[in-house]
Amino acid sequence: MASQLLLATAASQPHRLRLAAAASATGSLVAEVGYALGALPPRGEWLSEELVLATGDWLLTVADLRELEPLLLQRGLRLVRVEAPVPEALVAAASLGVVTQLQRPEDGTAAYAAHEPTDPTEPQGLGLTIHQGTLRSGDHLQVEGSVLLLGDVNPGARISAAGDVRVWGRLRGVAHAGCQGNHQARIVAMQLRPLQLRIAESVARGPEDLPPRGYAEQALLVGGAIAIEPAEPIWGLPD
Amino acid sequence: MTPHRTRNILICSGKGGVGKTTLTANLGIALARQGVRTAVLDADFGLRNLDLLLGLENRIVFTAQEVLAGSCRLEQALVKHKQEPNLALLPAGNPRMLEWLKPEDMQAIVGMLAPSFDVVLIDCPAGIEDGFKNAVSAAQEAIVITTPEVSAVRDADRVIGLLNTHGIQPIQLVLNRVRPKMMANQEMLSVNDVTDILALPLLGLVVEDEQVIVSTNRGEPLTLSGSHSPAALAYSNVARRLQGEDVPLPDPAKMGRGLRAKLSRLIKTKIF
Repeated sequence: MASQLLLATAASQPHRLRLAAAASATGSLVAEVGYALGALPPRGEWLSEELVLATGDWLLTVADLRELEPLLLQRGLRLVRVEAPVPEALVAAASLGVVTQLQRPEDGTAAYAAHEPTDPTEPQGLGLTIHQGTLRSGDHLQVEGSVLLLGDVNPGARISAAGDVRVWGRLRGVAHAGCQGNHQARIVAMQLRPLQLRIAESVARGPEDLPPRGYAEQALLVGGAIAIEPAEPIWGLPD
Repeated sequence: MTPHRTRNILICSGKGGVGKTTLTANLGIALARQGVRTAVLDADFGLRNLDLLLGLENRIVFTAQEVLAGSCRLEQALVKHKQEPNLALLPAGNPRMLEWLKPEDMQAIVGMLAPSFDVVLIDCPAGIEDGFKNAVSAAQEAIVITTPEVSAVRDADRVIGLLNTHGIQPIQLVLNRVRPKMMANQEMLSVNDVTDILALPLLGLVVEDEQVIVSTNRGEPLTLSGSHSPAALAYSNVARRLQGEDVPLPDPAKMGRGLRAKLSRLIKTKIF
């Protein structure tokens, strides 16, 4: 399969460029990316300036990524994230200050499908991970789909998911839903008293006052800002 | 007869200065007074002072280091407490042991202590680095001690997480330096606030007590003198609960409110 560019369908979403297998490539990284970017409509007709690069099995170096910069600049694009199944590419990207994400090769296609900008209403393609036990200070639970935690998230602990974060317990640490850019993701907890909440790129501090007794609460993005409201009794678990 | 099984209990906190060593010393004495053959093992090789608190510093000849090296027998290194023959201290070696000590070494030491003791209390160093890992590897159960402060509770939480990953069970909690008055005025985390976060069974509540400082400096643990100070009582109750006895926990809201407490406070203020 050749390298593929998936255009953003909303202004808040990045474009995704998925590189073909390194073995099937004909030229350098710059040639490959330049070829794929040929599918880009003229400037002004696309919605986003952000680009996510899924590198596949390319063993990218810092020099490779540096070479990309003028090409992207010329197109008016900004590299916001590198996703790779190999640590080499991630280290190179991280050393240039680009956000990185490890993609496991076996479910890389599934993870990819979850981010297809063509269906932004579907929050998760990887189903639900259920984790039992309290997250204590220093713990960090990271999940590729949605997560249901049976336990508390203590102050100093972090929980993040590409989809929703649901806590059957008290949320007092940091929670990040939609950590790969899903704006529909939400955070639900029996008691929502977090230090910090993040949904996609938005950040909010937790509320100061105590919650109303007996209500589960949820946080979601409303017009680009995080809002907290009582959660509906049915959480609508993914299939 | 049930087969002899030694309980290796780690005493840890994460944060420094919350009372690990003081608890180890007092608990050691209290257990010994209750007829339990107890060994206290100083695993804080970098900054050892369990021997100081027990008043045994000048009687140390050999340490765990010599025992491990095979240059002395275990019995030679163990320092028996004079007033409480049921209690023995295995002193930490010099701080350079940190460089080579491995979890297997700690396990070896504890294994050597097992035949002659019922309980081995391991005084853990502060932090969660190598010293902590060595100490954890030798223990099966743990007592986490913390004070009602956010930083101490946060560190304790982290340590509990690590203990869980090492399969330590049970883990119990001692809340140290409780000031009932401040708790009542909500100037301090309450007992509930702490147990809410840490979610551990409470093994004891120790009130802030100046006598602890006095006894520490003298090298005579409070539980040794049969003192009736509130902290001494709390420590011996911890020991009793550890032995499975059902001793009710005091309610901090009622502490220092009784007639006797009021009278004794009155007397103290008049005289001093």
